[in-house]
Amino acid sequence: MSARRQFRALVLKDLRLELRTRDTAVAMTLFVVIAMVVLQFGFGTRESDLTRFAGGLLWVPLAFAAVLGVGRSYVAEREQRVLDGLLVAPVSRFVMLLARAVAIVGYLLAVQVVAVPLLGIFFVKGPYWGDIGWLMLACLLADIAIGVLGTLVAAMAVFTRARELVLPVIFLPLLVPVVIAAAGATHAVVGPNDMAQYRNYCLFLAGIAVTFGLVAYATFDAVFDD
Amino acid sequence: MTDSGSEPRAPGRGIAAWAIASAVLMAVAIIGAFFVAPENADGDIQSILYLHVPLAMMSLGAFLVACVAGILYLRRRDERYDEVVAVSVGLGLLFVILTIISGSIWARGYWGTWWRWQDPRLVTYLIIALIYAAFFVLRNSSEDDSRARFSAVFAVVGFVSVPLSFYAVRRAQDAVHPTPIDSNGIHIDSGILLWLVVAQVAVAVVFVTLLKLELLQRRTDRALGRLRRVLEDTA
Amino acid sequence: MGPNGAGKTTLLRMLATLHRPTAGTLVVMGHDLPAQAQLVRPHLGYLGHDPLVYLDLTPLQNLEFFADLYGINRPRERIEELLEQVGLLARAFEPVRTFSRGMAQRLGIARLLLHHPSLLLLDEPTSGLDASGAALLDRVVADGASVVLVTHDVERAVQVADRVMVLRSGRVRLECATRGLDPAAFRVEYERQIA
Repeated sequence: MSARRQFRALVLKDLRLELRTRDTAVAMTLFVVIAMVVLQFGFGTRESDLTRFAGGLLWVPLAFAAVLGVGRSYVAEREQRVLDGLLVAPVSRFVMLLARAVAIVGYLLAVQVVAVPLLGIFFVKGPYWGDIGWLMLACLLADIAIGVLGTLVAAMAVFTRARELVLPVIFLPLLVPVVIAAAGATHAVVGPNDMAQYRNYCLFLAGIAVTFGLVAYATFDAVFDD
Repeated sequence: MTDSGSEPRAPGRGIAAWAIASAVLMAVAIIGAFFVAPENADGDIQSILYLHVPLAMMSLGAFLVACVAGILYLRRRDERYDEVVAVSVGLGLLFVILTIISGSIWARGYWGTWWRWQDPRLVTYLIIALIYAAFFVLRNSSEDDSRARFSAVFAVVGFVSVPLSFYAVRRAQDAVHPTPIDSNGIHIDSGILLWLVVAQVAVAVVFVTLLKLELLQRRTDRALGRLRRVLEDTA
Repeated sequence: MGPNGAGKTTLLRMLATLHRPTAGTLVVMGHDLPAQAQLVRPHLGYLGHDPLVYLDLTPLQNLEFFADLYGINRPRERIEELLEQVGLLARAFEPVRTFSRGMAQRLGIARLLLHHPSLLLLDEPTSGLDASGAALLDRVVADGASVVLVTHDVERAVQVADRVMVLRSGRVRLECATRGLDPAAFRVEYERQIA
């Protein structure tokens, strides 16, 4: 049993389901754009330069979009009751977790490809386009942490009674360090252009991803171990 | 009934001793904090810290207990560990809320405001309170067969995220919280330290007492349930 | 066999490594469960009321996916052979969502057999099947592998099984070989045990 072949099959399956139904990535992207616009109105100002709030304008919508995307991630298994079929197969639970996390990272990156440039167009009046590479790197690191933590948390929340409500309530507080660091990194690049601070935040994001990865590795078996 | 066989004497008696110890220690700690312990230039409001700090420490202690009990539950699948997880998180949450309230009162007296987002510890405790409040949302919404597993996993994940939250909040803000302990050692008057330690012990004993009491109650509930089933079967 | 709530499905899910026994020991194919579940899983085939396939994928994609999970060599040949056997070769490129329940369950049978399991765990698998599907399943059951079958159908059980076991309220009420057993007499005894 090759773990790599299983991993590839799991990722490919998620991709195929997404391509056939197309309900996650598009809706998530639209949601982020809407949330950014609503946030702007929520400030109660028509200022064009909101560079100071760039971190929040990007990461509040992204954090909520992450909740939505993560919530979708077991829908096929739950609604179509395929989960038992996966669980009786000789697949390590950790491979299942990694494959799912990769799918979530994929969704988030697809969203960010739209959201990050939009942040520059809408809210930042200053040098921006040269920093897009740095912003996407911070996004990727944050996405990995979100993907690993989200897979673990959603595997529990999706199988509770009030799942739509339980997931954000248990996921968002755990996500706070990621949001702080990702927003901090965004602000460091877009605002004062403080690369030392940016690097610290990125290292911290990587540290969070590794920490949650270890916890998920240790506990994910138990989530499905009825 | 395996439980009663291993413990012939009334289990309530041990609790009574713990309860008396809690009451005495708490009384000593409170009297000490407000009337005996040395005050510094900040005046009366300082006294609240004799409770605030031990409560803050003990809440983390309670979450550590929950985390360890969670790991033990996942290994041994013994229902009693699950109860320790749930009760510890509940008590920890209570202590966190008391920490936030006492900290907020202190902030009002010292800084003149109920809440400062610049204070990393107050903010972190708020995040911790939200994480562990969410624990009960997950627990109460879980189906019977997954409740204990999900609780245990969440107790572990929650505890791991505590230091991450601490670090993240601290990174993002300038520290304005008084830091009596830093890399140069402890900067506390020995009289203050004494009463802090007394209060810490008192809070810890209260925690153990409440934990034992709640566990005893749950065990009694379960024994009653078994008894009722036996009666229903024979009837 | 047994009435609703007897613990049939729970027992089968325990054998399928999906459910952890709360007490006692469980040995499947010489391996302790749940500790050695990963050693047992490659040899298990499990089918319940649901076919356990993705409705938005085609039969081919579903079977390719499970072939990868089970590490099957030359999956394409095996998949074509199975689709032929369950009569779905013509529909191999259509999403399962468009299928009738009976057809989806036949795909479930193909998934069940994909990796040549040596122990089949079947939980009332005929509930969604039409007559030809049920006949197909009977051929499968007769075909070598050991089978644990949960069913309500007394006559069928006596006919296809070597041994039958009756559960009620989580306890074994009756266990015997079917050789020389009179179906009518057994039916009476079964009704008495579960009453």
